[in-house]
Amino acid sequence: MIRLRALSALIVGFSFVSMASSQGVTLPDAQRVQLESGVVFILHEKHDVPLIGVQATIRGGAVSDPDGKSGLSSLLAGLLEKGAGDRDAATFAEAVDAVGGSLTATAGLEAITISGEFLARDSDLMVELLVDMLQAPTLDAAEMRKLRDRRINLIRAAKDGDLRPLTSTYGNAFLFGDHPYGTPVDGSEASLAKISHSDLLGYYRDFVGADRLVIAMAGDFDTAAMIDLLSGAFGEWSRAAAPLPEIAVAEPQRDRRVLLVDKPGATQSYFWIGNVGVDVGFPRRAELDIANTLFGGRFTSLLVEEMRTKAGLTYGARSSLLRPSTAGSVAIVSYTKTGTTIEAIDLALSLLAKIHAEGFSVDMLLSGKNYILGQFPPRLETAAQLAAQFAQLETLGLDASFIDDYADAIANADREVVHAVIGDVYPSVDDLVFVVLGDAGQLRDDVAKYGPITEISIAEPRFRP
Amino acid sequence: MALFAELRRRNVFKVALLYAAASWLIVWFVGAIQSEVSLPAWTNTFVLFVLAIGLPVSLQFAWTYEITPAGLKKAIDVEQTQSIVYKTGQKLNAAVAVLLVLGVLAVFGQRLLPKFEFLVPGIPEGDIPLSARVPAEIRSLMLGNGLKIVVWPDHDIPNVVMYDFVRAGGRNERPGITGLSHFFEHMMFLGTSTRAPGEFDSMMEAAGGANNAYTSADVTVYQDWFPRSALETIFALEADRLENLTTVAAVVESERRVVYSERRSSVDNNNFWKLAEQVQAVAFVAHPYQFPVIGWPSDIESWTQDDLINYYRTYYAPNNRTIIITGDVTPGEVFGLAEEYFSPTPAQERPPAVRTVEPEQQGVRRVEVVAAAQTPLLHLAFHSSRAADPSSLSMSLLLNILTRGESSRLHRALVEDEGLAISVDGYLDEGFDPGLTYFSLTLPPGGDPAAVERRVLDELRRVADAGVSEAELAKARNIMLADYWRGLATIDGKAEKLGQYEVFHGSFEKLFDLPHVLSAVATDDLRRVAATVFRVRNMTVGVLRSAETEDAE
Repeated sequence: MIRLRALSALIVGFSFVSMASSQGVTLPDAQRVQLESGVVFILHEKHDVPLIGVQATIRGGAVSDPDGKSGLSSLLAGLLEKGAGDRDAATFAEAVDAVGGSLTATAGLEAITISGEFLARDSDLMVELLVDMLQAPTLDAAEMRKLRDRRINLIRAAKDGDLRPLTSTYGNAFLFGDHPYGTPVDGSEASLAKISHSDLLGYYRDFVGADRLVIAMAGDFDTAAMIDLLSGAFGEWSRAAAPLPEIAVAEPQRDRRVLLVDKPGATQSYFWIGNVGVDVGFPRRAELDIANTLFGGRFTSLLVEEMRTKAGLTYGARSSLLRPSTAGSVAIVSYTKTGTTIEAIDLALSLLAKIHAEGFSVDMLLSGKNYILGQFPPRLETAAQLAAQFAQLETLGLDASFIDDYADAIANADREVVHAVIGDVYPSVDDLVFVVLGDAGQLRDDVAKYGPITEISIAEPRFRP
Repeated sequence: MALFAELRRRNVFKVALLYAAASWLIVWFVGAIQSEVSLPAWTNTFVLFVLAIGLPVSLQFAWTYEITPAGLKKAIDVEQTQSIVYKTGQKLNAAVAVLLVLGVLAVFGQRLLPKFEFLVPGIPEGDIPLSARVPAEIRSLMLGNGLKIVVWPDHDIPNVVMYDFVRAGGRNERPGITGLSHFFEHMMFLGTSTRAPGEFDSMMEAAGGANNAYTSADVTVYQDWFPRSALETIFALEADRLENLTTVAAVVESERRVVYSERRSSVDNNNFWKLAEQVQAVAFVAHPYQFPVIGWPSDIESWTQDDLINYYRTYYAPNNRTIIITGDVTPGEVFGLAEEYFSPTPAQERPPAVRTVEPEQQGVRRVEVVAAAQTPLLHLAFHSSRAADPSSLSMSLLLNILTRGESSRLHRALVEDEGLAISVDGYLDEGFDPGLTYFSLTLPPGGDPAAVERRVLDELRRVADAGVSEAELAKARNIMLADYWRGLATIDGKAEKLGQYEVFHGSFEKLFDLPHVLSAVATDDLRRVAATVFRVRNMTVGVLRSAETEDAE
């Protein structure tokens, strides 16, 4: 390459992301710019309210946490807010709050995401803070220890609170084990305690850089001026030092096994029943979405209808799909009072068997299609939502057809194909991982019928044995 | 050229001009009244269609016929010397001129005149600057039975949101029926005399809609989110459950278990609410805000079908509700559907007012909860004011300064600098009656609630004595302003905010005054509200500690 550093900011890719909309479920036009450094910007002007939504995504995330140190990428994300550029942690927070903005960094399984929303008049400040967070975070040792220790205590507090949000963390950890998708994204009490300041600096050097970054912005700004501003700021940024990890396809569970998490005195049991599922690129996505909507993705789904509306066993039940870049998980999640745990789990299993055997009727299929299409437009209503969607597609290497062709794919989905997808994606009732959180003393004997039990205490500083 | 001259002689061009002017006036008029009266949505298309067909017909007519002193004759039969087409042409010119003048007057007249409030008796005249800030496309209508409907059209996405605010909640309960408002919310989805339990949801979801509802101490709110194609289905479903609700014994029993499961999840197995429920019960000795909205366990287990029926009769009247609709609709079609579906339900006697006023607190109150816990909790509650009181806005601003974001005073001091707490949150009740300003803190394992309480009180005293800086106030204003715009970025947020202002502040129009009112609040207003509210005598302290630490004492 010719030694023209200034030219590294040259735009090497320039295209329009999508076409005009039909049916209200297509992406609006956006301008995509790729710098030579690797950074991609996607910009969409939207002037209905004086706000700008931004989402910056760095490919990587919890799957790149070193062994035994899960939570490192999440801790790094937290540290990006704890001082950057000329600002220390307090000054940085003050700069965001003073203008009524928001700028938060969180880790996911396969990416670190910075989401922000600012009043349009503060766009320069927003870009300045974002650039500093990414390129010049302070990563102060004292701030790191403070945040790490606080995070450990917040996990303890979460275990004292409503266990619904933790159920899937235990579920995926037990299903995937040492596979990267078993990593608790925000770490565990034990894994966080092992993380040092040099781990943090190493992670930043290895996994954060221009070649991993996508910045999507939507809202009340001028595209040409914004491209200038961003190109100037990111043109010369360096690349990350280490390659992204290759994620092997996880082996599905054969037979059954059970994890019992003991919370003495709990009057309610929380359960997660699942197995390895599919990845984000699964070709029959529309059919799978219809199946999941009808099985446990809406209020009149089979799971809610039978477990809540008819049997009164629970306030909520759902089927969840985790679809990362290689096969994720598929699970049934619900809760019930301790005394009806077995009744509820048995009912859930019988419903799983039922969809395998029967699939869904033509009427239900139509209802599911209408529901998905009717509920889709509000997901792309605001600048912040659009920014997030643009960033997500780019990060996953998907194009606008992922959204634009979706409505047609839903509308055209065929009953037999939906039934076939159920057979391919949802586990057989014989091959399942069970995770039950509750009062083990009252549950131990009964849940043994589902398979060999492993038991841990809720106070155990990790999410799996 | 001969044809052109003949067209001109027979006034065909003038007729075309007249036709165009008249058409324009008609189209304009239909558009202008459409949002005021209930014209169906196809009216515009229909009018354009008729006008389009009429154009060739009238031109053909002008060509073929001629007005003569002896009446209408075929132009071809009239001798050129007898023709009065020139006079007719002059009349046509005059008519076009008159129509144009009329049109211009009407269009400008409408802009200059104050906004025409159609059929909205009883809405107080806002001051002129406020009404100028209210988006012109918002319309409201009061049905004869007292049900008010507010519509904010927004055509960004092909979807619609309906919020139905019922003025009934925990404050309308008494011992024995605590939690009934919330339970009733569940029953609203479980069958009418015309639809079986579950049909409400299955019909709505099959039409592409989704719904939810929530109950607070003040109101019960029903929310529908749906594609515009489902608009009439939603009206039919909503009208049916308001008119024909039934409570079947077996369904009541099953749903009782569902609600108990909800209580177990959100309260019994959740330390935060375990403590908050006790703090509320202790902070209020007289006012029904002392009851948990989910209900005390024994009441959940024992309320009866009669309780439900009485409750329905008392509170679910059109004149006790307000409906907000936002999204891809016109006011005309919404008001038409509202007349058709909602006006048959008769108005009822107003429900009895909540008379009890909480007496002034005479000294600090304390409550303790012992539970399995790794992390102790500390809650501090102070009696404050009602939503409509101007001091509520000052308190909201103050809470932004104290607890919102990492730069807030309490977060910085207690979480970042001193490590006394792992989280601190602030919350203000904004209801019909004076509620609480509430601080909740999570302590690290082994944390000392008494020490943390002293530290929080130091900070609160500091605000009451020295107030806040101009920079802090500016920050709080910016946060609330950004929240305001964020709320108006979605049709769901628009419906929620309009409803909240209509119900708790007396008029939706006041929502649009918020940026203006915010700029008028001064630092001294914040100091004053702090001094009034943050007094030890006005405080209730709740502590949740683990069984182990209790045994050690």
